[in-house]
Amino acid sequence: MKKLIALSLLLVMVVGSFAAVAEEYTIYLITMDLMDQHWVNVDAGCKAAVEEFAAKGVTVNYKWDAPTQGKNDAAQIESINNAFANNAQAILLASNGPDTQVATIQQYQKEGVKFIYVDSPANTEALQTLATDNTAAGNTAGLEMLKKLTADGVTEGKIGIVNVNAATTSTQHRETGFRAAFEGTKFEILETQYGEGQVAPSQTIAENFITQGVVGIFGCNEGSTTGTGNAIKEAKSAVVGVGFDKSDAILQLVFDGALLCTMAQNPYVMGYQGMLSAVSILQGGEIVGDKNYDTGVTVVDKAFIETNNLLAK
Amino acid sequence: MTQDARKKGWYRRLFAVRGMGQIITVFFGLIALCIAFYLANPNFLSQRNVANLLRQIAPYLIIGIGQGYVLITGNIDLSIGSVIGMSTMISATMMTRGMDPWMVSLITLLPCLSIGLLNGFLVATCKLPPFIGTLGTMTIARGVAQLVNGNMNTDAIGTASETWRNFFYYGKSLGVYNTFWLALVIWFCFNYLLSRTRTGRHIYAVGSNVEASKLSGVNVAKTIRSAYLVSAFCAGVVGLITCAQAGMGSMDAGTGYELYAVAASVIGGISTLGGQGILLGEIVGASVWGAMYNGLSIMGAPVAWRNIVVGIIVVLSVLTDVVFRSGALNRARIRAAFGKKISTP
Repeated sequence: MKKLIALSLLLVMVVGSFAAVAEEYTIYLITMDLMDQHWVNVDAGCKAAVEEFAAKGVTVNYKWDAPTQGKNDAAQIESINNAFANNAQAILLASNGPDTQVATIQQYQKEGVKFIYVDSPANTEALQTLATDNTAAGNTAGLEMLKKLTADGVTEGKIGIVNVNAATTSTQHRETGFRAAFEGTKFEILETQYGEGQVAPSQTIAENFITQGVVGIFGCNEGSTTGTGNAIKEAKSAVVGVGFDKSDAILQLVFDGALLCTMAQNPYVMGYQGMLSAVSILQGGEIVGDKNYDTGVTVVDKAFIETNNLLAK
Repeated sequence: MTQDARKKGWYRRLFAVRGMGQIITVFFGLIALCIAFYLANPNFLSQRNVANLLRQIAPYLIIGIGQGYVLITGNIDLSIGSVIGMSTMISATMMTRGMDPWMVSLITLLPCLSIGLLNGFLVATCKLPPFIGTLGTMTIARGVAQLVNGNMNTDAIGTASETWRNFFYYGKSLGVYNTFWLALVIWFCFNYLLSRTRTGRHIYAVGSNVEASKLSGVNVAKTIRSAYLVSAFCAGVVGLITCAQAGMGSMDAGTGYELYAVAASVIGGISTLGGQGILLGEIVGASVWGAMYNGLSIMGAPVAWRNIVVGIIVVLSVLTDVVFRSGALNRARIRAAFGKKISTP
């Protein structure tokens, strides 16, 4: 009897000690909106990492938040405030702009919250930045368009850019890289038009560009690209469209020939690697990978879609 | 008088205040909402989140006060969101050029008040429907916001504005963010104006019956202009708060805020038909609005459900107002419907 009691007590102590050291962290992903396929893929990457940690006995209370009405600086600041109020220990942040979130980030860094940037950094130090080198990617997009125009014997003409807005750093860098590809050529790049990353206004802008007789249009993000592709498809135009980001709609537009190609980022990698780093830091370790982790782009054209069966359901 | 009779008298006096019935109803709704959010996530009522929530409520309260004044006169102000954007851009542009933030704050309010005067002129003097008049000034103010810095968002306003930013957004006093204290001071000032002055009585009179007000000697045009000036002032202040929050000017700041202002007012019992409502309702209305967004975010509710829940609550609030005002639920009709004798107190 005494042995049984001793064994039971030992068992309780062992189980209790496991419970006492069970790891649990609260980590937030805060993006620019909750609708864009790009952010949905970042979220998917985060969730995959969370599941892997759960299998190892590490509980991550993971939440994804963003402005509900689309890109909005004040609303994103409130999302960060809400995350802090909900005891977030680490925040994976895709900053709306380079400066708007700085004061809020610094305030909560002083309170011990760990920040990791995904996709778009702010102008203040964080533990890691996982993002596409947007300038280089935009330049690649420009070179692809230039290659196609040259192959078609078009050596001059107007080119339109459909961007999101003047404040989003990532898309501004893409535009800068794209414009650099056409320096020294006879092509004239028209004044950039902004569609706030939404398909409908972007499509209207692209339609207007086509009416103006452009030879090429560059869409700087998913919504801009989809709108651009739709406009070219509807006009049955020979305008060369190049875009950014990947979604089913964009892949279909590339496959149908409305778009030449799109620069596919790796948002899943941003979310997955970002979550790995966040948990590692909270466990007292180091970030996983380089401090400036370039998640890269892939040029997705029709051949790539066919080879990789990207449109198969 | 017995103690019971005195208590009943106090109770009746409270409900006799115009609009108090809805305020008390919504207040209990707010309590229920807070309990529901707390049960879903206890962090909702943590000290940290309560401070956070009060700061989030403050801008809705301030613009609600302005919109409330206009609604009570029987009009509406759709330019609030654009005036916020204009205020943000003007203040940020001047600060990025090295101007003193406090001086900038005063200067910024001038163009905002000009929009208020223009609204008053269009609606009261030119007799434009308020929806149309303020729709026009909405686009004008947004255009000015875009023009001020050459159709670009501004750079950061710099470290010299840190004290100013703390005053309007980041700083705390007695454990509560300054933004909330600022909203409370503005509320006290405009509540006094509305409830204790002749201007306030004229505002209610115009909203209740314009013709009767004219015949009583009320300067209707001046009264409506005053209401729009209050609205423009409140929007200008929220623009400064937004600039302090972001540390820069965004051309699209304040988009949609005119509707948030209507929601906060209507939920708090201010009638869209004019002549009814008290500013105490703004506190409740803004609190419900802020608590909904904060609570749903803390819960991690999907965005579609957040929008649906918010929309339902706004519609129910307006419906309650319309139903009660139409007398659909008065005693005679209830008696006729249910065939019961309802005793009078």
